[in-house]
Amino acid sequence: MSLPPESQPVVELRHITKYFPGIIACNDVSFSVNKGEIFALLGENGAGKSTLMSILFGLYEPDKGDIYIRGKKSIISSPNHAARLNIGMVHQHFKLVENQTVCENIILGKEPVTRRFGLFSHLDIKKARKEITGLSALYGLEVDPDKRIDEVPVSTRQKVEILKMLYRNAEILIFDEPTAVLTPQEIEALLSIIRNLREGGKTIILISHKLEEIKQVADRCVILRRGCLTGIMDVKSTSTREMANKMVGREVLFMVKKNEHDFGREVLKVENLSIRRDDGVQTVRNVSFSVREGEIFAVAGVAGNGQGEIAEAIAGLIPCYEGTVVLDGRSVNALSIRERIEAGISFIPEDRQDTGLLLDNSLAENLNLKTYYKAPFSRWGILNKPLFISEADKLIDKYDIRSAEGSATTVRTMSGGNQQKAVIAREIELDSRLLVFVQPTRGLDIGAIETIHSDIIAQRDKGKAVLLISLELDEIMALADTIGIIYNGEFRHVSPAADLTTEKVGEYMMGGSLI
Amino acid sequence: MKPKNYFIKKVMVKTLGQEKSQGITIALFCIILSLLAGALLLLALGKNPLSAYRSILQGAGLWAKPRYAGHRSMLTDFMSLLDYTTPMLFASLSVAVALKCGLFNIGVPGMMIFSGFLATITVGYSTLPGWVARPLVVLIGLASGSLLGAFIGLLKHKFNTNEVVSSIMLNYIISYVTSFFIQTDFIDPLTRQSLKINDATRLTLNDAVLGNLKMDIPLLLPVGLIIVAALGFMLNQTRYGFDLKAVGMNSRASRYAGVTIGRTRILSMGLSGALAGLAGVTYFMGTFASIQPAVLPGTGFDAIAVALLGNSSPPGCLLASLLVTVINNGTTYMSSRMGVLREIASLLTGILLLISACRVFIQVLVQKYKQELENYYQTRKEAIHG
Amino acid sequence: MDNIIINGMAFSMPLFIIAVGGIYSESSGITNLALEGLLGFGAFCGGLTVAVIEHLFPAGSALPMYIALFAATVGGAAYAVLHGVLCITFKANQVISGVVINILSLALTAFLANQINTAVFGKTSNKFLLAVSPRIDIPVVSKIPLAGAFFTSVYPFEFIIIVVAVMAWYVLYKTPAGLRIRACGDNPHAVDAAGGNVAAIRYGAVITSGALSGLGGICFAYSISSNFSPSIFMGFGYLSIAAFIFGNWKILPTLATCLLFGFARSGGYALVTKLELPGSYSDLVLTMPYVLTLVLLIFFSKTNHPPRALGEIYDKGKR
Repeated sequence: MSLPPESQPVVELRHITKYFPGIIACNDVSFSVNKGEIFALLGENGAGKSTLMSILFGLYEPDKGDIYIRGKKSIISSPNHAARLNIGMVHQHFKLVENQTVCENIILGKEPVTRRFGLFSHLDIKKARKEITGLSALYGLEVDPDKRIDEVPVSTRQKVEILKMLYRNAEILIFDEPTAVLTPQEIEALLSIIRNLREGGKTIILISHKLEEIKQVADRCVILRRGCLTGIMDVKSTSTREMANKMVGREVLFMVKKNEHDFGREVLKVENLSIRRDDGVQTVRNVSFSVREGEIFAVAGVAGNGQGEIAEAIAGLIPCYEGTVVLDGRSVNALSIRERIEAGISFIPEDRQDTGLLLDNSLAENLNLKTYYKAPFSRWGILNKPLFISEADKLIDKYDIRSAEGSATTVRTMSGGNQQKAVIAREIELDSRLLVFVQPTRGLDIGAIETIHSDIIAQRDKGKAVLLISLELDEIMALADTIGIIYNGEFRHVSPAADLTTEKVGEYMMGGSLI
Repeated sequence: MKPKNYFIKKVMVKTLGQEKSQGITIALFCIILSLLAGALLLLALGKNPLSAYRSILQGAGLWAKPRYAGHRSMLTDFMSLLDYTTPMLFASLSVAVALKCGLFNIGVPGMMIFSGFLATITVGYSTLPGWVARPLVVLIGLASGSLLGAFIGLLKHKFNTNEVVSSIMLNYIISYVTSFFIQTDFIDPLTRQSLKINDATRLTLNDAVLGNLKMDIPLLLPVGLIIVAALGFMLNQTRYGFDLKAVGMNSRASRYAGVTIGRTRILSMGLSGALAGLAGVTYFMGTFASIQPAVLPGTGFDAIAVALLGNSSPPGCLLASLLVTVINNGTTYMSSRMGVLREIASLLTGILLLISACRVFIQVLVQKYKQELENYYQTRKEAIHG
Repeated sequence: MDNIIINGMAFSMPLFIIAVGGIYSESSGITNLALEGLLGFGAFCGGLTVAVIEHLFPAGSALPMYIALFAATVGGAAYAVLHGVLCITFKANQVISGVVINILSLALTAFLANQINTAVFGKTSNKFLLAVSPRIDIPVVSKIPLAGAFFTSVYPFEFIIIVVAVMAWYVLYKTPAGLRIRACGDNPHAVDAAGGNVAAIRYGAVITSGALSGLGGICFAYSISSNFSPSIFMGFGYLSIAAFIFGNWKILPTLATCLLFGFARSGGYALVTKLELPGSYSDLVLTMPYVLTLVLLIFFSKTNHPPRALGEIYDKGKR
């Protein structure tokens, strides 16, 4: 240990192991990060990257292994402790207080205080505002300190999260999947902010599963698979193919095979749809489009631009303020949710756990969630439980849904991937005319994603109409026949996928106009 | 590494950790804890807990007393126990059904007074023969209770009112309004309660003669047992029960699945109200024969404890109702025999309620221990084979 | 008219401070239906304190009353720990916990009041007698027609409540502690990631709600019946819950609602006296606050905005 302090690694993890009930989240992981580096943690969903960094940030403690910060062994027992070691983290799911201002969010936990009359402590908002404006200017993170969080867009919220770290003098900044919620242009902006931070002497650790971004900005990376470290490599000199292989352990199919064919009759027609929220805000403005048999119509857009609402309105979960939803020539506006299911609409909701499943019921009941009330599953109001089980077993077989006790398993105990498989199985087996899929592969590992993509293509080939809403541009470019880009509740552009490039789509997502 | 307190954890997991039997085992555990707490309380008062508990059983008719008054025996005490259990059973089923649908019906006392009062002034003071009057009383109980229940459900569905606050408001409103009417038109100046109803309309055969014994026979108890079975069947085997429980567990997913949330909630509050109505008529026109103005029956509140202890399942409510009634009835005898305050009954029930409220915590704790032990066995297995 | 104001204020103020307690707890994310039980337990502690110490003071002294107010505040705070333990540590359903606390409070105070009276004071009673509280007329201002009624025949505790309420308002909106409490009610994960201890902050908020409810309870005891007895549990805790629901969990609108309840109640009594209706009609008058609550609930529940994380069990493990 005779190296001078500057070239000592600023963060070193030795043999970190962490157990959670039933799984080994991190298995004997060791690596080090140098000061002033942009270091990436690469791996599929569920590989253990977030857990590892949560340990570094003090949210968890490792079961085995040690952490060395600036050469000194440290036990990081809480985020406060991590902050004292100048470690900060921008989380994937922002941890912001909606009904408080940008300024209040940034200072939470480290509030500047004055004493009124020497006695009463009082929040010194003026001082806070000054400091925040200073930091904003230094790193190019423009924010309005007095705006409430529920009034600012996602990219601003991310800036608030970054400012939170900088306000606490973080020197080591951890970013957890920062680009998941951004458009391509916003991603560019973020990557240049990250480079700015490095110029300012900060050390950046980037968690991601997006190879292209890592390639653009990282110096070195570490690859995790199922909790184990499979490689430490220099980013510039390694190909994305190599990195992908180490992530998954085999050759990865980057493109799904899709046959070109003619589309059939119109199945879904949305005419002049407008949706209003409870508080009067209009989330969807005068949207019209249609989906034909055998067509995958994908809606691209940054989260929160109205695409979720369109899907829910079609399924019947929220009312249409204006306009009609027509299925096979018949308006469904007046139909209840159950009537729409029977008319032929399958819906995979964005939140599979909260909306798509009854977590405390059995797999058998969940697989029959849309059929239990009618014959043959229920006669004279009495449920035919053995029939639930036999039907469920069929689906478990066909879709390879894994669970501890088969159809009797309580769904809550199943993994996220298998829960999603169950939802997809159920919705496909309804044999509906229209399949509305919202974020079908969110949070799943590559194997599951591939399976689901081929399921979607298979349904398309069978002549079903598929409405796909996704935040993953790669997924949209791979699957879509037609793409509609939504911005601020309106379709900026609709055209066959073949006519669009990723960059163009990104432009429309930001509200850019046709040139 | 061996977990701390290994032996205790092992015992807890063994006894309380089996998913199939957890409903009963944890309930028993709660009861035992409450009995222990009660024992400590009694010791603090300088009384022998064992003789105290025995005299509770004696008072409830589950153990022989040294002496009985004329025409009384352990059997008559036991019949009296059943007589008091009947309204408690209906009241707890009312709370349980609402709970299963995710709703808190704290309005059972008000519903009881409402249905009891209505039935009293319409049928209770009439001269109808028993075979007409009694079914009529039951019908009025069912109808009036379900109306109130559905009303609370409607308020929640249409106006998003908090059903706890609205049902409690109704408790007080009903209590005061009926008190007003009783005081003005139906008061018995001697008892300060409403005028006694006619025997033919009463749902309990009071002082019925059997041999040389005089006992109270609750006519509706068999009906109660049938309802327990019917509710169990409804909740587990029918589509309506499925909907009811689904809405209670996750209203968003239920809606997604096509269940009409509003209708399901209103119907289940209506059912809950109907059961509360039955509790009302069996209480005010069965166990008792008059209404005390401006007093909310404690049975309605104790029913919450019973439903929690019984895990909101119909058979659980049956057993828990029996237990709580034993405590309530037996304590009168105990308090006179042992010089302990009568109020100790509600305190014991309160402690039972407190511990039952921690059920979920106990369940989660046992689950945690189970996982700890499994991890430990797993690592031990690996060490041996590895 | 003057009486309506005087009696209305005497009822509104304790109701208000209890509601402020409720706001503290719910702003931190813990549903608090236990206000009824907390006010009762506080009143019990206050009453017990008076019964124990009053012989130490000369007759007619108001000092025992102030000590009782303090004891009630402490008692309420202590009893609230139970709600905290059930909701925060045991992660029980918060509505159930609230109802349990209320039922237990009734049973516990009835039993203890009886037991202590029998064992310590040798009398069979479930009441603790309190001295009649003095009432103050503020010089000069109380002579102003109409408005002067607000300063006439005022209970000392009304002043104490106003001071406490102002302090509570200041802490909740102007200090770091208040910022953190309100943040816990919106997004406890944010507080956790910022290094705050969510459990500790919530315990603090719940204990504060207990203290304020206890204070309100003993004030009710002094103003309504000059004693503590099981009849202190009259549903006022639930009225205060309704008050802060209409007040949208903000202190000033809640004050307005409490004033409305208070004047409705005193107005109703005045009406009965004016119309010279027989005593049984007082039963109908007593329903006024509850009916008003129900009506307001029906019309205003749709637009209320509770704290975002209210009633949700906070699990550190969930990310």
